[in-house]
Amino acid sequence: MAEVRFNKVRKQYGSTVIVDDVDIDFPDGSLTVLVGPSGCGKSTSLRMLAGLEEISGGEITIDGRVVNGLEPKDRDVAMVFQNYALYPHLSVLENIAFPLRATRSPRSDALARAQEVADSLGLGALTSRKPKDLSGGQQQRVAIGRAIIRQPSVFLFDEPLSNLDAKLRVETRFELMQIQRRLGITAVYVTHDQEEAMTMSDRMVVMRDGRVAQSGRPDEIYARPNSVFVATFVGSPKMNVITGTISDGDFRSSGGSRIRAAGVTTRDSVILGVRPDDLVLSPTDSASARVALIELLGPRAIVHVDSGDDRLTSVVDAAGLSQLSVGTPVDLAVRATAAHLFDPITEARLSDQ
Amino acid sequence: MTRRVSPWGIARTLLLWAAAVTVAFPIIWVALASFKSPAQLNDPGLFLFSPNLDNWARVFEAGILDAAGRSAFVAAVTVSISVVAGSMGAYAISAYKAGGSATRFGILAAQVLPPAVLVFPFLTMAYALRIDNTYVPIIFAHLSFVLPVITWFLIGFFDAVPRSLEEQARVDGFSRFAAFRLVVIPQVLPGIGAAAIFGFTLSWNDMFYGLILAPTRETILPVAIAAFNTFRGVELGAMSAAIIIAVVPVVIASFFIQRRLVQGISGGAVKF
Amino acid sequence: MTRMTRFRWGMLAPVLAITGVAVGFPLGYAFYLSLTDYRLTSRGAPDVVGLENYFFVLTDPRMWNAFSNTATYVIIAVALQTLLGLAIALALQKQQWARDLTRAMLLAPMFITPIAVGLTFRFLLNDQLGALPAMLRSLGIDYDFFGPGNALFTLALMDVWQWTPFMVLLLLAGLESVPRQPLEAAKVDGASAWYAFRRVVLPLLTPVLTVAVLLRSLDALKVFEYVYATTRGGPGTETETIQYFTYQTGIQFFRLGEASAVAFVLLAIVLTLIVLLFRRLQRSAAR
Repeated sequence: MAEVRFNKVRKQYGSTVIVDDVDIDFPDGSLTVLVGPSGCGKSTSLRMLAGLEEISGGEITIDGRVVNGLEPKDRDVAMVFQNYALYPHLSVLENIAFPLRATRSPRSDALARAQEVADSLGLGALTSRKPKDLSGGQQQRVAIGRAIIRQPSVFLFDEPLSNLDAKLRVETRFELMQIQRRLGITAVYVTHDQEEAMTMSDRMVVMRDGRVAQSGRPDEIYARPNSVFVATFVGSPKMNVITGTISDGDFRSSGGSRIRAAGVTTRDSVILGVRPDDLVLSPTDSASARVALIELLGPRAIVHVDSGDDRLTSVVDAAGLSQLSVGTPVDLAVRATAAHLFDPITEARLSDQ
Repeated sequence: MTRRVSPWGIARTLLLWAAAVTVAFPIIWVALASFKSPAQLNDPGLFLFSPNLDNWARVFEAGILDAAGRSAFVAAVTVSISVVAGSMGAYAISAYKAGGSATRFGILAAQVLPPAVLVFPFLTMAYALRIDNTYVPIIFAHLSFVLPVITWFLIGFFDAVPRSLEEQARVDGFSRFAAFRLVVIPQVLPGIGAAAIFGFTLSWNDMFYGLILAPTRETILPVAIAAFNTFRGVELGAMSAAIIIAVVPVVIASFFIQRRLVQGISGGAVKF
Repeated sequence: MTRMTRFRWGMLAPVLAITGVAVGFPLGYAFYLSLTDYRLTSRGAPDVVGLENYFFVLTDPRMWNAFSNTATYVIIAVALQTLLGLAIALALQKQQWARDLTRAMLLAPMFITPIAVGLTFRFLLNDQLGALPAMLRSLGIDYDFFGPGNALFTLALMDVWQWTPFMVLLLLAGLESVPRQPLEAAKVDGASAWYAFRRVVLPLLTPVLTVAVLLRSLDALKVFEYVYATTRGGPGTETETIQYFTYQTGIQFFRLGEASAVAFVLLAIVLTLIVLLFRRLQRSAAR
């Protein structure tokens, strides 16, 4: 049970700044996901919180206590590494019980406690195995068991699912969320996968070049990205982003496309962002845009459209698909109130429509 | 299906047999000599004879076991100190880049330093401290090459341990040193075992320091063997027995470490 | 000082302390000795004579003789070991039957104390008592292994007997780490075995080969036990090697100052080789 706060936290090696005066609040009991492309400083931030990297400037507090100078062992945190870092020489049970050795609890108590944790994670039958005799998913559970046995103030997860295959990743994702909710322990989770971030987080912090690009609830960030970077980073397929002008509800790109955007204020120069789900295609013989490629995804399809010099994507459901084939001329329109507008120079979000 | 016998295959087999005979012949010959009487020793072609144990009795009388005991003691002390200090140092160098490449270079240089450079200071110091002709200065002298060799040897093994193990243990509530002791060391135990055996053979086999620092009293095994060569002429039979005593333990021990030797000798630069 | 720096140096401290006592101090003291007229026999404090010992030994034909003997010895021994070692390593690589036993047996000599090797060969190659001369005589060949012109070569052969296994060990490891694909690609392309070896295996083996040759050369430079066990420098001074010469100067003639000066000249050569070796190791570690 703890609230974690980053206050102007900085990390630099020589003159290279990795994390640049970052402020983040991690509310008590929340699951906050730090997400961003590689090199954005998310892992370094997590490692500073764990005490594995020194903090160059600013303060990190856990429950109001400044932890900057504290060793990891004195911070009461638990961490799951990307490669799980299971101790190869110890059995599953001993791995899970290992953190209790530091607290000098009697060995029999520690092992009994570890057995309970193992049972709760469905590892009950595997406790005498060595890590190398486990599957990736089982290893992952052992790492989680080792993290929860001590009931720490804060859980830290460093890309814990990236070594699992796609199916297992989705299953484990929900299991992790359930465990975290049940224990109510503040969790900080680092990933480069925006989908994982969207589905798991209570709060999401998008990072870029050592700074926080945007933070908030994942649905808020999806609905109102504050910059072109966040807009294109979050959401799949990626948001269409085109530069152009708007007049009388009509957007014309510098590449020659024309998109109807009803109800959008006239502007001279603007970046228009349209999520593929919000780009409506209507087959029209006189239209200049052409369907270039159709990727079938079962009930829906991603349709790529060549319009002037622009390549746009739209998500179309089965009903709409029957009228489309490669080469079909289509008119383009943005669904009402779904246009995102950004400043062409700063790439920051403009006040809504 | 018949296996095709290529000329290369025949050459290969011949080469290996020749090598095996070359390796084995001198050892077998010496082993046989240790059971020969002085008269039988004069006949070099003699392979079938009635063995006797006179030579063995003679070397045991001459105190060869005391010398072997001293050699073992010197080697054990040298290796114990080296393994403790060396594993700590090797981890600091491998994981924390401690001391930079100057330290790595120093360690490599120290293990190949010619003993002729260091031996006279050891000798004069031993005289000054009145511990000349004892095995105490030999331990210091052996540390001068066994410690660098073991440290160097272990760097490669620590390089193969993922850093996240130490980090995980620290997050799990342990200090850096406890993490090193409880989590990192168990991963390199096979390497430490190989390093210890290798260091033991280096110390056990060295004669130069022993000859100069303790030539007459408290001789170590190689010096004691050499003594059969000069003391009252050459006692071939006894000398052969002494050679077998020196050779057998290390050759047996060496069988267990060969797979790990390469990684160690090259400081991790060459891996299996 | 941060915790990490403290830990780092704390872990390194025992090695540094022991190395300081067992290597650093003697090294400095040896250098001091090389500048004095220290004799084991004289009671009083030695006088500092500056570089006199160096001038003396550098103009001493016996020292140059010892250097050239050692160089000849190292070159013959290491060259033969390299060729033999490579051949045996290639043969062993394909060996399947009793694989581990064969390897263990062929590698055994490198674990034997060199004085035992020396004495064994002294005995084995002895003109009257040795098995090998006796066999050669029965073939009508009369060869004196320790005679003039032969002795140094015989010593080098002892080194070959004992240390070819070291070459085999390193080269075998090198061969086994050669990736299979380029070799298979060469085979698919119709290359002969010899071509594949020369163009694919040998280049990949070069780093290991260099390390092995340098390590062996450094070790062979220290040859002492074989000389002590067999020839004691003879016939004449034909087999007087540096380490043996230093031993004689220091221990038999009690002239520690001069002996230390010789040792430092040797050290200069060794250091040059170590720098080469270190560069090579760093480069191969960086790959």
